[in-house]
Amino acid sequence: MSLANATALWWVLLAVPVVIFYILKIRLKRVPVSTVIFWRQIFDEKKPRSLWQKFRHLVSLFVQLLLLALLVAALAEPYFSWEATSKRRIILVLDNSAGMKSNETAPTRWEKAKEEAAAVVQGLRFRDEMAIVAAGTQPRVVCGLTGHQKTLRETIEATPATDGPGKLADAIAVARRLVSREQAEGESRIVVVTDAAGPDLAKVLAEEEKKPEAERAKLTIIKVGAPAPNIGITQFQVRRSTVDPIGYEILVEIVNASDADSPEFRFELSLNDDRPIDVVPLKLKPGETWTKTNNYTTAEGGQLKGRLTVKGEKGSEPLADALAADNAALALLPSREKLPVHLHAPGGNHFLTKVLEANSLVQLTLSKKELPKDYPAGSIKVFHRETPAKLPPGNIIVVDPQNDTELWKLGNKIPLAIVTKQEKDSPFLLHVRLDNVILPDARQIAFAPAAGKPALLASSLQNEPLVALIERPEGKVLVLTVDLDRSELPFRTAFPIMIMNALGVFSGASGELRESLATGATADVNLPEGEFLLKAPDGSTRPLPKGPIQTTVGPFDTVGIWSVTGEKPVEEFAVNLMNKTESDLRPDETVTTIASAQDAGLVGGFGGRPVWWYLTIAAFVLAALEWYLYQRRWIS
Amino acid sequence: MPLFDSDFLKKLEYLSLISKRVFRGSLLAQRRTMQLGTGIEFADHREYAPGDDFRYLDWNLFARHNELLLKRFQEEEDLHVYFLLDCSRSMAFGEPSKFDFARQVVAALAYIALADLDRIAVTVFSNDIVADFPLTRGKGRILALLKFLENLEAQGEDTNLERVATGFIHRDQRRGLVVVASDLYDPNGFERGMDLLRHRRYEPHVVQMYDKYEKDPPDLLGDVEMWDVESGNARKVTVTEKNLKQYKQLFDEFQTGIQNYCNRYQLGCTRTSTELKFDELILKMMRQAGSIR
Repeated sequence: MSLANATALWWVLLAVPVVIFYILKIRLKRVPVSTVIFWRQIFDEKKPRSLWQKFRHLVSLFVQLLLLALLVAALAEPYFSWEATSKRRIILVLDNSAGMKSNETAPTRWEKAKEEAAAVVQGLRFRDEMAIVAAGTQPRVVCGLTGHQKTLRETIEATPATDGPGKLADAIAVARRLVSREQAEGESRIVVVTDAAGPDLAKVLAEEEKKPEAERAKLTIIKVGAPAPNIGITQFQVRRSTVDPIGYEILVEIVNASDADSPEFRFELSLNDDRPIDVVPLKLKPGETWTKTNNYTTAEGGQLKGRLTVKGEKGSEPLADALAADNAALALLPSREKLPVHLHAPGGNHFLTKVLEANSLVQLTLSKKELPKDYPAGSIKVFHRETPAKLPPGNIIVVDPQNDTELWKLGNKIPLAIVTKQEKDSPFLLHVRLDNVILPDARQIAFAPAAGKPALLASSLQNEPLVALIERPEGKVLVLTVDLDRSELPFRTAFPIMIMNALGVFSGASGELRESLATGATADVNLPEGEFLLKAPDGSTRPLPKGPIQTTVGPFDTVGIWSVTGEKPVEEFAVNLMNKTESDLRPDETVTTIASAQDAGLVGGFGGRPVWWYLTIAAFVLAALEWYLYQRRWIS
Repeated sequence: MPLFDSDFLKKLEYLSLISKRVFRGSLLAQRRTMQLGTGIEFADHREYAPGDDFRYLDWNLFARHNELLLKRFQEEEDLHVYFLLDCSRSMAFGEPSKFDFARQVVAALAYIALADLDRIAVTVFSNDIVADFPLTRGKGRILALLKFLENLEAQGEDTNLERVATGFIHRDQRRGLVVVASDLYDPNGFERGMDLLRHRRYEPHVVQMYDKYEKDPPDLLGDVEMWDVESGNARKVTVTEKNLKQYKQLFDEFQTGIQNYCNRYQLGCTRTSTELKFDELILKMMRQAGSIR
């Protein structure tokens, strides 16, 4: 046996004052009595009659010294050598993915998992250590290796269930790293508490099988929950209509993750909860996937909500299946405002006019003769051929310039210009392919120093700018040196898309459609100057870096509307589960699992305590015994 | 605070009045002595013997039966009340002390007796007779008595009632009522002393007093040094619950023993805790009409 804290043995010196006080004896309390007639009868009847009677004071000293010895021994933390060698390291992988919120096991699989985890913690022996890795959304070590059971229990209690996807394989990999890092001595084991749904576990186990025996991790999988039928929305995406600037295409996918026919239910689609868009009665076969694309037109914007319902006595009621998180999905439609655009095209230009008129968001004004003196407030100016020598402030599109301005000087015509270079990452050329488009009679253009360094978005083989972007303090200028009448560009879809992109960029971020995100995803966001918070659907917040900065927010671990807020909201994200694996609540039966921590032999009993614990208990028992004996005056 | 203040005197007067109004004829001087002699109350006849006083011959009887019979009368005389007051150190125990309480009781009873034209004397004792207040008569002597009592102090070692009674009975005095005011903590037993008084035809009346902490001692559990206030001896003992229980049992037996002794010899007996006020005790004694014959 060894001592972990041998210096504590110095406390044994306390025996000296104990013995001194015993020898000196404490001055007794003097009690006056009016007569000792009666006391004499009592005490004189009981003469010291036995060895015990003489010995009992020594027993008192012995008991006190024994009590001290027990306490000192406890402080010295003795341990057996086998305790050091049988030290275990358990990495507890807690699956807190969305599927663990299934309620077929009362109250939920997650609560049951926490119970099992707590049982494993309770079963830790002295010198055992445990770390906890959460496997939902993003594998995370929520508690490092420690033997402090209270910390472990509190960590388990504080770990939330998420709506995120399960990342068991990654979490087990993290656990393996923790194990290998601490593999110096003792046994290591990875305990996974999961519902065993999804293919991850089977893959991990298969990979383990391939490894040599020595490298395999000791993996114990405790399964919680039972197979449960579930219907869920696994896709809910909205995109802009390619033909209607204020139109949307809505993709919905619903899966019956069950071995039986689904009950009759409905898929309801509504905007802002008060404007029904579609109601589809459904009854799906086992494992069937239902898909539909809806078209919807609105400039208003708001929350688009798809939800699974059943017909109740008083209208629609939410579908009550095992998992609620996938019974609804959200998308955010931006509010579309009219965009004032002024087109100056001497003699008019059919292509530009039609492209701009086709955009229902554009509020178009035209001038065909002289350059107007004033333009509509906040308007985007489009100049075809004739361009003012001094460009007005604001965002401008210049198409086929025919005169010099303060920003450029025109050169000769390029007889047959072909786009050979294109800036693919530019938002102006999003979804636009100009490769090999022939642009006859495109003008050479030489930018003046006032234009700074314009960005060449598209250029010819000779590196002549065909599409360029000039950044001015008073606004951007997009220059297309293309003769629309002679070019094939107007007949390509790239042209209206490019113009729409330009209008979109010039009108700012408003009206930008942000696609719905699946839980576990992240998003990039440009933060202006100031301080910002990421606000979760439940109202909790996380601080974000101080702006201005481009940063990544997420991963989003709960479904609902997340928002980046500062003094005013900056951006919102619709987050849905949209995960077939998580919606499928049926465990993988091919995986060998254990029903509980008890069955896994991880639950401790009375044993497993350190020696000092028993010594302390013994000291308490002895103190109680001494108190009893003292009360009975068997010792004094 | 003086032992006998004005309030005390008022209470004495009140008790005196009560004794006259309610218990007239049953207290002290109202009762007749057992001696025959010159009085006005006829007792019986006896045959004439030469030398008898002719004045007491019953001439009417002689006229009817021609017999010389002498009328005898019950002699009226003052009752002598003796107070034996214990001033041993054990009497100084308690709050209020038993000694103070005993002095108040003796003063009250003496006042009532004096008010009824009886004669009283006070003998103070511990292990022996310590002081005496001589036989006296008349209400006017009460102040002297109070002053005497007030000047007393608890003293002496173990109470020795036998020695005190021996000294008392050998005095040349008339028989009478002997009120023994004491805690009776006599290591040799109080009975021997009382027996001596009885045998000498005194009529003892026991007023035994105790403190509440004697009956039910507090803070005695554990290792203590028990200090006998009477003898001054100390003793280190360990008092257990069991010991305490035994003590209470012995104390109760002692109290019962006093009562049984008095019952056996038809003696007046009043046992009281010092928690009771002295005037309440006197009233209680008055209510026990037969206790003072």
